[in-house]
Amino acid sequence: MSASPAPAAKPTGRRPNPTIAQWRRTFYFLRRNKLAMIGLGILVLLVFVAIASLFYTSQPSDYLQPYQGTFTGNGFNATPSPGIITICTYASTAPVPGPNCYPVNTLFPGVIPPTFSVSPWTLGRLPLGSLSLTPGNNQFFNLFEGLVKAAPWDLGISAVVAVSGASIGLFLGALAGYLGGVMDDIVMRVVDVFLTIPSLLLLIVILAVTGSIPSLASFDARLGILFFAFIITDWPGYARQVRGLALVTREQKYVEAAKASGAKTGHILRKHIIPNTMFPVLVGIAFDIASTPLALGALVFLGFKTIFPTQYFPEWGSIAAFGAQSVGTFIQYCEVAASADCVFPWWQVLLPGMAVFLLAISVNFLSDGMRDALDPRLRR
Amino acid sequence: MKLWIFVVRRLLLVIPVVIGVMTITFILLWALPPQQEFVVINGSPRGGLTMPCADNASQTCNIPAYQKFLDQYRANPPYQWAKYVYNSLTLNLGNTDKNSQASISYGLAGQSIAVTTVLSWYLPYTLELAAFSLLIILLVSIPLGNLSAVNRNRPVDQAARIVSFSGIAIPGFLLATLLLYGVVDASGGLTKVCNGNSFAYLNWVGSWPDPHCFAGGALPSWIGPNQQTYPTGFPTVDALYNGSFYFAAESVKRMVLPALIIAYGSIGVLLRFVRSSMLEVMNQDFIRTARAKGVSERVVIARHAGRNSLTVTITILGLTFAGFIGGFAVIETVFQLHGIGLLLTRSIIQPFDYGLIFGTTLVFTYIVVAANLIVDVLYSFLDPRVRLG
Repeated sequence: MSASPAPAAKPTGRRPNPTIAQWRRTFYFLRRNKLAMIGLGILVLLVFVAIASLFYTSQPSDYLQPYQGTFTGNGFNATPSPGIITICTYASTAPVPGPNCYPVNTLFPGVIPPTFSVSPWTLGRLPLGSLSLTPGNNQFFNLFEGLVKAAPWDLGISAVVAVSGASIGLFLGALAGYLGGVMDDIVMRVVDVFLTIPSLLLLIVILAVTGSIPSLASFDARLGILFFAFIITDWPGYARQVRGLALVTREQKYVEAAKASGAKTGHILRKHIIPNTMFPVLVGIAFDIASTPLALGALVFLGFKTIFPTQYFPEWGSIAAFGAQSVGTFIQYCEVAASADCVFPWWQVLLPGMAVFLLAISVNFLSDGMRDALDPRLRR
Repeated sequence: MKLWIFVVRRLLLVIPVVIGVMTITFILLWALPPQQEFVVINGSPRGGLTMPCADNASQTCNIPAYQKFLDQYRANPPYQWAKYVYNSLTLNLGNTDKNSQASISYGLAGQSIAVTTVLSWYLPYTLELAAFSLLIILLVSIPLGNLSAVNRNRPVDQAARIVSFSGIAIPGFLLATLLLYGVVDASGGLTKVCNGNSFAYLNWVGSWPDPHCFAGGALPSWIGPNQQTYPTGFPTVDALYNGSFYFAAESVKRMVLPALIIAYGSIGVLLRFVRSSMLEVMNQDFIRTARAKGVSERVVIARHAGRNSLTVTITILGLTFAGFIGGFAVIETVFQLHGIGLLLTRSIIQPFDYGLIFGTTLVFTYIVVAANLIVDVLYSFLDPRVRLG
């Protein structure tokens, strides 16, 4: 060690907190990563929108507005049969079912172009509804407002699901890897089973089964089941990764030293095993936050429009799924007539898609940067 | 360890996984309320029982016979579990719901037939699509991953990063719908109308051409009413077997877009792993040795380092295979391809067809188990340390 020629700085009185110092150092390295800072910026913006939307109270009619009556312009027509909608390509007066009217067994996809000239708040209306659709009473909401209102739901659900899944996986994986033996066998066999079932299918099966149980029909129960289903599909991935790293960490000299000096299992897990297995968990959390809205959207797209039958909350993935259905129906039924009223509903797909994309890209960039900043070997 | 001993040991490890999956589906079936009894018959924990309630939808029929039924179906769970596992292993997955949307879609409305039969019509298409997209994944992610590792932080690497992140972040159903619309628009056939539908649209959607819209008239006899083909069931193979190049080309053309979209999502995940493992290998001593003894850079990357990225690709493919195959439900629905993903989507239109939902889940799981098995064997073949060490 070469002696420092500079005189030692005068002690300021308080010892710096080592935890804070380390986070400062991490942030220093993070700040040098341009992509991570972009990700952090987008995430902060989204969180700001989410918090601001909680204070913005719109009139319920602005936000979730039942649409009364039938369309006349491009001839959309609701039949009295619940759940089935008839779409006529041009003449609303055409007999139902007629040569230009097709029964559609999905949600009614509205094709109303955005009206930029009025205000950004009327940026197209997106139809909402449920399978208990009553004729002539489709629900619409303002798309832009819906997207803003969806921000706290999306961020909240994704964060809760990812963090609780990661916690369970981290705890069980570390326990299995460190203790080994019977505990390891039991946990890893359960993990193997859950990793074998495709997660989307497990979600579908859980929601389909619980959807038919009358005592679980309330909104709170449905929300709880949704959380449960997502956490159940998320934790095994973490457990497997953490267990692999815990097996390596267990053999390190410092763990041996801690054991020799009489540290309890809980202490070793908390202080040595879990901090050393955090990197893949961080990446996994980012991946889950990004994929939860996508999975919700896929569920709605595949037909689970009634996950929440009594009350609906806006959610980016689901709104995108409704938009994708509008596009699908547009292709199938609107192109043929080539009516002037038929406008390609790009805004219904692009805007919610952008929201999901921004969330996914920001957490991925940020987690990539965090991993590099936290791991001393990757710093340059 | 000899390779065959490794394979046998790996096969034995499959048994607890399969039984575990069946236990989970058993528990979920158990949670179904009894008014769904008519839906799932042989494959269910309550196989062989018939609910005495005349009114299926009523939850308040408090008659003694109904009570007896409830007692009966909740009786002896271990026995019913064993029966369920046996039925599932022997592919006795129960019957479909005669009232479901799915049974309307395969043209047998009002009939209850074996789930296994329906699955056998739809499964080969999914397998062929999976093989096609796997081919695309391997052909893209390995060279691109290697390239971005070699040109670290250069434009190629940044482009690969954009591909990777956007593949993860864009929802599959969105990409599929927009791409479909783009292709339909670009092929300029929107004015062509056939049988009330846009012809260009039908050129890209569905497993086979609409019989009314192609010049040949009706579909050939080797394509069945539910789009199943004979004799093997794999569409392109059967088209070639029956000597119809037109139908083989049609089949492949209709798989291009779906396979690309499915591959795009997986490539996003794979690229990052291939790149990081390649970076790690490039710093190893044997690479420096190879360079020092004068091996050309191309050979170093392709032979010495590249082989390593192949094993990584295969490992990650095995790990993400469940997610990969789960995405088929969405894509097959957008493109109306007759695979089990579409079947699953139709079986979750209310009223749910629980027989089909659980049958599809089991079949998907079997595919994942088989794929993981193949991956492990391939891996032990490519990297002998796994079975020797």
